[in-house]
Amino acid sequence: MADIVEVRGLVKRFGELTAVDRVDFTIAEGEMFGLLGPNGAGKTTTISMISCLLEPTEGEITVAGHSIREQQTALKRTLGVVPQEIALYPTLSAAENLAFWGRMYGLSGAKLKSAVEEALELAGLADRSKERVEKYSGGMKRRINIAAGILHKPKVLLMDEPTVGIDPQSRNHILETVKDLNDSGMTVLYTSHYMEEVEYLCDRIAIMDHGRIIAIGTLNELRDVVGGMDVISVSVGEVSEGVLAAVGAINGVKGVNRSEGTMEVLTPGSGSILGKLVATLESEGAHVTSVTVTEPNLESVFLHLTGKSLRD
Amino acid sequence: MTRVFHIAVKDFKILIRDKAAFLIMLGMPLVLIFILGSALGGVGESESIDIPVAIVSVDSGEQGDVFADAIADVEELQDVFNLAVRDDLAAVRAEVERGDLTAALVIPEGFTAALEAGEPVQLEVLQDPGSEMTAGIWAGVARAAAANLSAGQIMRITAEGLLAEAGVTPGAVGDQGTGDGQVAFDAVTIEQVEVEQEKQVSMIDYYAAGQTGLFLLFGAMFGAFGFVKERREQTLARVLATPASKTEVVAGKSLGIFAVGAAQFFVLFFGTRYLFGVDWGPTPGGIVLIGLAEVFAATGLAMTLSALGRSERAIGGIGPTVIMLFAALGGAMIPVEMMPSWIVPLQSVTPVYWAMGAFLDLMRGEAFGTALAPFAAIVALGAAMFAFGLWRLKYE
Ligand SMILES: Nc1ncnc2c1ncn2[C@@H]1O[C@H](COP(=O)(O)OP(=O)(O)OP(=O)(O)O)[C@@H](O)[C@H]1O
Ligand SMILES: [Mg+2]
Repeated sequence: MADIVEVRGLVKRFGELTAVDRVDFTIAEGEMFGLLGPNGAGKTTTISMISCLLEPTEGEITVAGHSIREQQTALKRTLGVVPQEIALYPTLSAAENLAFWGRMYGLSGAKLKSAVEEALELAGLADRSKERVEKYSGGMKRRINIAAGILHKPKVLLMDEPTVGIDPQSRNHILETVKDLNDSGMTVLYTSHYMEEVEYLCDRIAIMDHGRIIAIGTLNELRDVVGGMDVISVSVGEVSEGVLAAVGAINGVKGVNRSEGTMEVLTPGSGSILGKLVATLESEGAHVTSVTVTEPNLESVFLHLTGKSLRD
Repeated sequence: MTRVFHIAVKDFKILIRDKAAFLIMLGMPLVLIFILGSALGGVGESESIDIPVAIVSVDSGEQGDVFADAIADVEELQDVFNLAVRDDLAAVRAEVERGDLTAALVIPEGFTAALEAGEPVQLEVLQDPGSEMTAGIWAGVARAAAANLSAGQIMRITAEGLLAEAGVTPGAVGDQGTGDGQVAFDAVTIEQVEVEQEKQVSMIDYYAAGQTGLFLLFGAMFGAFGFVKERREQTLARVLATPASKTEVVAGKSLGIFAVGAAQFFVLFFGTRYLFGVDWGPTPGGIVLIGLAEVFAATGLAMTLSALGRSERAIGGIGPTVIMLFAALGGAMIPVEMMPSWIVPLQSVTPVYWAMGAFLDLMRGEAFGTALAPFAAIVALGAAMFAFGLWRLKYE
């Protein structure tokens, strides 16, 4: 399938800081493309440049053949944008907000009306459409925030961490919505720092860190990056820096990271180091409650490539 | 173009739902106009001031009483004066001395005889030394009346002249001196009475003009709030990610601010007129022209404030300071005539100065044409502020 989004040699500098550093990727028409990275990786900056809000320091972007340099209006017409922040007018109702965003994309009359109704239906808020957005819960606001980006049925949808800070129920609703939209043919660029979301949704994934794409491919291709490695998850109480360093020093350990009482160890052969690992932990005074060996996931890929955890 | 319109409609909706904006842009000026206007000069009775005066004829002939009654019958005089025809000169004199009567006109013994003989007659004006101004007006009435006694309708002219003269400073009436004024009959010319055709602008009218001139600028602050809020809450970025251009966004937001200001102006204009009886003068078209020009200036100021202030806090500080400075310099708080001369060169940079001047001139009955120069000045200032704002504006 033809590429609908092309990003070539993209660089964005803010003074000294290089927020986006020589990024290249393409998204095929109808694809669900994931951009995964920790806080400050440069995901929002990349999306802002695609949606013509920021001018790149270097590089070129085209969407549906329109260049961000010369054909901004045409390019923006093909896009739907769901910003990371909830960007709605709090004193307008959900229906008024949606109608406004629809009008900005040139919808009017009966077309606008049905688009607004459809979007409200999709957000599951048709019965509360006349209420001011400021009275909504966080999850409801998120849903309207998404609805406002899709009601004009864009060719390409850019979603910047659409599930941040919401309850699991709203989150599932949003994930299903995004999947449905993609199934109906919409190309989606989905940004997140939750690897589960990206694993579940995306056909292809780019992993970003410090402004660079450090890996790109399908989930399986990315798993191959860590080759035949295993991930050993150890449930422990407190993990001190000392423990972490001691484990990292074990021969055969390729990476260590900890998150809330769990320690993840990346290794080419779990059998050969398991005994040594437990012994090291006990001698360091860490209290081990369980040990599991799992298949590598995106977290392990990130760990392998950067030596640190995706979420901290 | 339709995007400009839809952005304006959206901003209009948001602004009129803002309770703070509503209170400051409409509630405050109306309350201030009412309080200042009624504390400093009666509301609703701007036309009937009710100055107590008396006419006394001690003439033995008929003409003295006819003259006295003729003056007492003039309706316009009754609006202003509490006018009584009396016959006890001593009592009247005592009341004037006590201040119970502001002035009295005395028609002397031999008035009829002198008229018949075509000889000069002297009318005497008794006045309360503490009320030179009203007594002076009263002397003017006497002069005008006496200058052409034969025609009854001349009284009407006199009365109109008198009302005109209500705006005149005490000195302008002239020669009644202190204490008992002597008016030489044949030395009087009627022009003296008609010196100025200015109608008096009452206190409530003055404050209606001043507070309107002042509070129309507050639209600028709320407009700038709206801009900063959109920038902070990222709706501005979101609009710019749609096919809308920066030009469309700025035009739409400006149109929204202008529309809110125009609505505010019409509410203040009709509100002061029908609630408080403010007399905006015989040329409402001129008032509307100036009002809308000032709303345009407020729109320009909104752009400047949006560019200068990064946050609502900053704009909440700069905005009212600039607005109050503009208003004070422009004469919205105290009349420009009362300000020191070094201020004069500064006044022309405030739109309020031009608006106030034009409002007051139009209230005094001057023609539509007098509003054109101030209109041009206000629009020019507004355009300058708009251009500056546009130049410095940050979109993220
Ligand atoms: N306007 C700006 N001026 C200066 N620095 C900026 C600006 N916008 C972003 N940055 C910096 O660029 C880097 C990348 O930021 P960006 O918002 O793109 O990260 P992100 O991947 O979206 O992170 P998050 O997951 O927290 O949203 C950060 O270090 C950030 O501080
Ligand atoms: Mg981000």
